[in-house]
Amino acid sequence: MSKKVFVIDIAKCNGCHTCQVACKDEHVGNDWSPIAKPQPDSGQFWLELTEKVRGTVPKVKVAYRPHLCVHCDKAPCMDACPIKGAIYKRDDGLVIIDTEKCNGCKNCVDACPYKVIFFNEDLNIAQKCTGCAHLLDEGWTEPRCADACPTLALRFMDEDEAKDLIAQAEVWMPEIKSKVKPRVYYLNLPKKFIAGTVYDPVEEEVIIGAGCILTEARGGKEYRIKTDSYGDFWFEALKNGKYNLEIKNGKKVKTFKGLDTTEADINLGDIALT
Amino acid sequence: MPVQKKVKAHSKTSPGKDLPAVGADKTVIKSLGLSGGIFGAVPCSIDVRNDKIVRIRPLHFDSRYDPQTFNPWKIEKNGHTLEPLYKAVPSPFSLAYKKRVYSPNRIKYPLKRVDWDPDGERNPQNRGRSKYKRISWEEAATILANEVRRIHKNYGPLAILCQADGHGECKLIHAPHGCSTLLFDKMGGFTQQVRNPDSWEGWYWGAKHVWGPGLIGMMAPNDNIVKDISEHSDMVVVWGGDPETTAWGFRGQFASRLLYFWSQIGIKQVYICPDVNYSVAIHADKWIPILPNTDSALQLAIMYVWISEGTYDKEYVKTHTVGFDKVKAYVLGEEDGVPKTPKWAAKKCGVPPWTIKALARDWAKKIVTIGHYFAGGMARGPYSHEPARLECILLGMQGLGKPGVHQSQIAYVGMPRNVIGGTGHMGMFQNLSKHPLGKRLLTPHQTTPTAWGKQLVPKTLIEKAIREGKVEFWGTGAHEIPVPDQYKKYTYPIPEEEGGTEFHMIWTDTPCRQTCWNCGNDVAEAARDPKIECFVAQHPWLENDCLLADIILPSNTTLEVDDIMPCIRHGDSFQSILLMQQAIPPIGESRSDFEVVCEIAKKLDMEEDVTEGKTVEELQKIVFENMGLGDRITWQEFKEKQYYVIPVAEDWEKDPAGMYNFYKDPVKYPLPTPTGKLEFWSESLEKAFPNDEERPPIPKYIEKGITHDESIFSKRATAYPILVMSNHGRWRVHAQCDDIVWTREALTGKVKGPDGYMYEPCWINPQDAAERGIKQGDIVKVFNERGAVLCGALVWERIMPGVVSIDHGARVDFIIPGKLDRGGAINLITPEGIVSKHAAGQATSGFLVEIEKVSLGQMEAWKEQYPDAFNREYDPASGLRFNAWVQEEK
Repeated sequence: MSKKVFVIDIAKCNGCHTCQVACKDEHVGNDWSPIAKPQPDSGQFWLELTEKVRGTVPKVKVAYRPHLCVHCDKAPCMDACPIKGAIYKRDDGLVIIDTEKCNGCKNCVDACPYKVIFFNEDLNIAQKCTGCAHLLDEGWTEPRCADACPTLALRFMDEDEAKDLIAQAEVWMPEIKSKVKPRVYYLNLPKKFIAGTVYDPVEEEVIIGAGCILTEARGGKEYRIKTDSYGDFWFEALKNGKYNLEIKNGKKVKTFKGLDTTEADINLGDIALT
Repeated sequence: MPVQKKVKAHSKTSPGKDLPAVGADKTVIKSLGLSGGIFGAVPCSIDVRNDKIVRIRPLHFDSRYDPQTFNPWKIEKNGHTLEPLYKAVPSPFSLAYKKRVYSPNRIKYPLKRVDWDPDGERNPQNRGRSKYKRISWEEAATILANEVRRIHKNYGPLAILCQADGHGECKLIHAPHGCSTLLFDKMGGFTQQVRNPDSWEGWYWGAKHVWGPGLIGMMAPNDNIVKDISEHSDMVVVWGGDPETTAWGFRGQFASRLLYFWSQIGIKQVYICPDVNYSVAIHADKWIPILPNTDSALQLAIMYVWISEGTYDKEYVKTHTVGFDKVKAYVLGEEDGVPKTPKWAAKKCGVPPWTIKALARDWAKKIVTIGHYFAGGMARGPYSHEPARLECILLGMQGLGKPGVHQSQIAYVGMPRNVIGGTGHMGMFQNLSKHPLGKRLLTPHQTTPTAWGKQLVPKTLIEKAIREGKVEFWGTGAHEIPVPDQYKKYTYPIPEEEGGTEFHMIWTDTPCRQTCWNCGNDVAEAARDPKIECFVAQHPWLENDCLLADIILPSNTTLEVDDIMPCIRHGDSFQSILLMQQAIPPIGESRSDFEVVCEIAKKLDMEEDVTEGKTVEELQKIVFENMGLGDRITWQEFKEKQYYVIPVAEDWEKDPAGMYNFYKDPVKYPLPTPTGKLEFWSESLEKAFPNDEERPPIPKYIEKGITHDESIFSKRATAYPILVMSNHGRWRVHAQCDDIVWTREALTGKVKGPDGYMYEPCWINPQDAAERGIKQGDIVKVFNERGAVLCGALVWERIMPGVVSIDHGARVDFIIPGKLDRGGAINLITPEGIVSKHAAGQATSGFLVEIEKVSLGQMEAWKEQYPDAFNREYDPASGLRFNAWVQEEK
């Protein structure tokens, strides 16, 4: 059996929630024991589409991200489980909580660094994404979330086939990557932006082609762009940290010091260059 | 398990074989689009076990056919290729439809209002207040047959109003709307509520006077523009509408793929709208926030820049248009002394003058298409015909019809043509309409797009008609009626000698007038008029206008019937036709909408007249044969496979794109307008309405008139300073799907209030929220003179300051009927006024309100004062419930 991975391209995720909803359609009210017992109707998400608004009016983007069990190769939930074989890893890499063996101790819920294991009070068992293993075992090639994805942003692939994509991909919580070895990969996870619009307040015109130089406060790395036909500049894919910005058009210069992207993206608004 | 044939995998994107129906004993195929009528979309496979739905998944087109037989299309640009997917791309609410079918709000059996006695006291004043009790089908049918006879005898047949139009499930034989008209048509006629094009108002009442009838007023012909835009446009300006939202119920999610492809091939996307709608959120290269209903100011300023800088297509304007001189004089201020400069426009619309100039110049340099998905807030407000007409002029000034210059309802039209062909709304049904059973099959569906009743009332004027007993209007508002109808004056009631009478009985199968149309708060009040002697609703769910009815008949969903559905709307990878078999037995005592009407017809000895003696399978076969499928696949094979993918035409790439022929040769290919040209100035409007300042012969920026006063410059704005932007819902199709647990729990689905109630979200900019002490998750009251609606505050940057965004269509949940609603049905407080004096559409976006935080103390006070409203059975997960309004059986 070939090893499987999820590869999720955030740049193609339109935020439609079909992954989250298809997961519920498959698992709410349906019993796939011993792979999965029913997911609660509401409030728990074996796959949750998260969303985050970035920037301020009028420089706003929304970042969506499907969040699910990453099917660690060194899964903390397996280590935390006191019952032998209650949480096990399949040959295809999927991590499953056996519905029959789980005793409801909740150790795995607390152990999971990704917070993707839920406790079902009614059934007294821990539950999470199974990769729709019950379907794969019957001949499906992908779980419901991937089958429902309209843009193919969310894919379930053979690890070998996905090699090139994995090479460019990131994981959620990279700081524990080597410790847990997750099998969910993201492409194009958003970083931070610094943006604005440059205009001449006397002429009431945007300034096209104004030079914008962004410098990392630490290290001094420079990024240079020119304002576009709307007077806009967007420095994208920035790391968290402090930056200095200089905007220059002929003799007119404006500088911003200590722009800090750690907490949020930055929209400097409409900037009058005088 | 159905018979499965192995086919070779064709696409990397699709498994290429029939997926095993794990845990199921059968699979049926259903169109789960929610646009209703005969134009299906969103084919899905439904796995069923023991008469219960197990799962709903996208249909894989290649699961039972060799995909090569589809003649797959391909669009290429800059080394990138857009190809079809071999699976349908349903929206989340199609995939969650199980929750809709098994909703706790389903009507399980016929109901009668407890204090409505057809032989005694009818208590019309209690409509919307009283509860219901269970009655048998026998009793319901007998009462209604007697009522129909009595009304006919006392007033004549036209005293029955059929509200029988609109969106809904995609069912052909068991039409979700209009089946009542099959019965009443054969009993001497009825009064028809004529559906105004609520998503298209501006195009309908405006654009038609510039470029002719179009597709409900939007640009037509529109063939092949998806490929043409991909190949030739540099930029798409998406103005209003949201392809990531409104496409969902109609076509699924192909539009999303197309927008990603356009970005990939370097087509710049500029969005002009007050909100970071779901397309702006992910596709915008540039978002230009604009105050609702001020788009015409921006449009005029763009023209000002083009005219003063000479950057428009002067030759085209000379040869293809009439009346440019008059528009130019108005734009430059020669007519009224007000030049429509960017500085002038900035004050009106909130877009900085420098950005207006930059947009105008960038546009003039590029090949630009204007994109929409319906109008969003752009052409659904007061005087919406003005921005719609101005848009046609903008396009005309840049050579409309030239490769890459179109108006595009993104992927809604203009996809590759299929082998069967047929254009326009009814194109593929032409043969069917000639069949002897064509009338039985198509009549119900005609009630939405046409005005064929003997006596007519526009849907926007129903309450006025009840209140005043008489209404006058210009043009019926029916989607498919020729343009000159708009110059014709109609009167309700028609003369007595022609059978005219006020209506005294209402039969609705579209009970969402309150939450989807203009000034919903008038609806309940009008329904309480004693002249309405009997009010009947047939519907699967106990919601909205159902609760005004005297008798409620339970209809069922598409999962519960056998039917057939052509999925021939554009906007999926392929078009198809589905043999839709019954998935599960009917819920409770429900019947299909057609069978509901048959129950009453039986008691009136009219059953044979309505059914024409045909079984469902016979009707399925007639549809199959008369849509040209008999030549391509046998009935037997179709029955086995349950669907057929209509191949793409061999020569589709050669179809001239959009208005290309007119662009090349306006003499040989004139437009269907009086002059054959783009009428920037309409002589017909001038002649018909010489003194109409609200829709003058050339389009203008109109702030205020006799019909509306909804601008921030109005005196009203001192009390109501906030503009409401209201689009079709992200998580609903109009009123449909408000009860789906799995979409309500999305961040923008509902907002959980501190009292645990799930409120309809109201998007508020942090600046406006701070000024009013409103925080994320607070209950807010949105109000004006017309009433108040409670919502849940979503405080964020997805909406510009000065504006709140509230989707329409939430279920009404009155605390004080007609005054205070907890459900968030924003249309309750929309303007009563129609689009303008001579345009009987609705204006339900871009109107004034104030918002304030509602304290828990205030909620407690209401609770004490109106205990019934707070004691009704309610479930946060799915909302209102059947039991809330039905007296328990003893």
